Amino acid sequence: MKVLIVNNMAPFVWGGAEELAANLEKNLVLAGHQAEVMRIPFQWEPAARIASQMLMVRALELINVDHVIALKFPAYLIRHPKKTLWLLHQYRQAYDLFDVGQTNLPPGAEGDQLRRVIRNADNESFRESRKIFTNSEVTRQRLAKYNGFDAEVLLPPINDPSLFERGQQGDYIFAGGRINSMKRQSMLIDAMVHAGPTTRLLIAGPPDSPADGAALASKVAALGLADRVRLDLRFLPRETYAEYVRGAAAVAYLPFDEDSLGYVTMEAALAGKALITTSDSGGILGLVKHRETGWVAEPNPAALGEVMGEVFSQPHRTAERGAAARELWLSMDINWPATVERLLR
Amino acid sequence: MKIALCSTFVPFLYGGARNIVDWLRTMLEKEGHEVEVVYLPQLDAPDLLFQQMAAFRWIDLSAADRVICFRPQAHLIDHPHKILWFIHHVRLFYDLYDSPYRDFPDDLKHQGIRDALVAADNVALREAKHIFTNSRVVSDRLAKYNQVDSEVLYPPVFDAARFYCGNYSDEVVYVCRLEHHKRQHLLIEALALTQTPVRVRICGSSAGPVYPEELLALVARLGLQDRVSMDNRWITEDEKVDYLANCLAAAYLPVDEDSYGYPSVEASHAAKAILTTTDSGGVLELVSDGVNGYVAEPTPAALARALDRLYTERDKTMAMGVAARARLNELNISWSHVIKRLLA
Repeated sequence: MKVLIVNNMAPFVWGGAEELAANLEKNLVLAGHQAEVMRIPFQWEPAARIASQMLMVRALELINVDHVIALKFPAYLIRHPKKTLWLLHQYRQAYDLFDVGQTNLPPGAEGDQLRRVIRNADNESFRESRKIFTNSEVTRQRLAKYNGFDAEVLLPPINDPSLFERGQQGDYIFAGGRINSMKRQSMLIDAMVHAGPTTRLLIAGPPDSPADGAALASKVAALGLADRVRLDLRFLPRETYAEYVRGAAAVAYLPFDEDSLGYVTMEAALAGKALITTSDSGGILGLVKHRETGWVAEPNPAALGEVMGEVFSQPHRTAERGAAARELWLSMDINWPATVERLLR
Repeated sequence: MKIALCSTFVPFLYGGARNIVDWLRTMLEKEGHEVEVVYLPQLDAPDLLFQQMAAFRWIDLSAADRVICFRPQAHLIDHPHKILWFIHHVRLFYDLYDSPYRDFPDDLKHQGIRDALVAADNVALREAKHIFTNSRVVSDRLAKYNQVDSEVLYPPVFDAARFYCGNYSDEVVYVCRLEHHKRQHLLIEALALTQTPVRVRICGSSAGPVYPEELLALVARLGLQDRVSMDNRWITEDEKVDYLANCLAAAYLPVDEDSYGYPSVEASHAAKAILTTTDSGGVLELVSDGVNGYVAEPTPAALARALDRLYTERDKTMAMGVAARARLNELNISWSHVIKRLLA
């Protein structure tokens, strides 16, 4: 079957959604299909141009395609008789982010009009799709609440599972992923003051801005933690990232109210690492069960520091929780062959 | 520099129009540029032309420092630094309007569509900082129909250094998609009329099974099974390099092609003479009769005479092969030239 994956393109930016589309393409081919990714340019600034870009997608004519899998707004507006959505996100600034005042849409009648346009186009596109999957429970609930459509949750699998086969239990807690204030790596550094003197921390990943990286470095220096906290702030080669995961004693990930299970926690669980997060991390709590697969701390440095200390004061417990995290992940049975099959069903 | 390469495509179809984009991407990235490739679909149906043209007008690529546009309707993209490497018009409304290929009536409606299309193209073409084309033929059409000047920038092949000249067998090779307008049948019919034991090798995939079956039947009917080798598949790049390195000469016989065609350029890199016809269009920008190959009348008899000469006058055949390679330099067919011009 000829399967076209339709995704957005933010020109010259490559991120998680691009990676997911590329891996979906690869796995469709492995399953014996022809697959190709089409990326449609989309800029959400200025907001006044959102409507014309929606029309652009709607005006395109597709031929020689048996099945479309579309991922994002506005790419999923594309017309095709056999269209399945794997919804990564809607235009949140017209929905839940609008409700909490975080929107780039203009105030007043103009913004209201734009939101109506987006909602109507979304609804039409959802109606004409043969099936809608979402990448998380949060996305599914949002779709039900704002648009009244049912969907099935289809969690994205780990892209390269062989990299995360179990390693040795090392002597540091690893915090990976993008570095920014929403991911709260700085709270981990603050927490180190409250953890025991044997606790070590490695923070590694690309800072969203130079200021994000500099803030962490100066905090480590100010708290005199240079001998116990290591920073490797850059875009890591995949193999280096996986090595850090495999060699860790435990993995910490503290995003605020995340939609999904989080690749960082999924990969750590597969590698058999005990997981550390905070009670407000949203979807991450699907994998982190307090004192079972790791620790769920209150989101403050003292509470976090206490559990970080436990990682090293009770190493056998830590190993057991890592094994339990792996069991829990494997029991979810989230893998590419099953995912491809459901998307084409 | 941030460069967006924009073209149109049919999903799951690969060929020359994608090669020029994908190869340029690789070469620009080697030079350290950031490159995004934008492929969007385009269907030449008259009733759907204008909504699709509007779609291209709405694309926002302001994040790019410059855009380079290839197939229509990518040239309609609105960008302050737009460069065109124009490879063809929507031909049914241009040079093919008065031809059997037009599958709609010449009525008021379609004349209106044609006039509006030309008017829109005229505006989009004039917005460009510079217009390049892939051949003299396309440049002439732009001058004739749109009254704009353009510069011919011949598309090079990928990694030309892998082609080399090894030996000279008795075989004339034709490496190209098996399609009726590429006229592999003409080469087989010519072979039947030759006086020498010259052989032919035909390699390529095809869009459907009919034409390859016809070719096989033709070979059988003419009793040429032991002088024609036919491989109905997309051969590997290594196989192609190998066949070209060791053949006697290469054939390329399309009907009125827009550009010189990759088969003839690849043969030139391997220093092999090229056999073509007087009606092959853009190929004649590359091949001159008796200099770097033979340009025969498109008849079996004329092509048979050329095949025999390639076989019997070997010294001349070899010299024409050397001249074919030199001709690439004359025409400045190289990636360094392409990149220098596109980024000027």
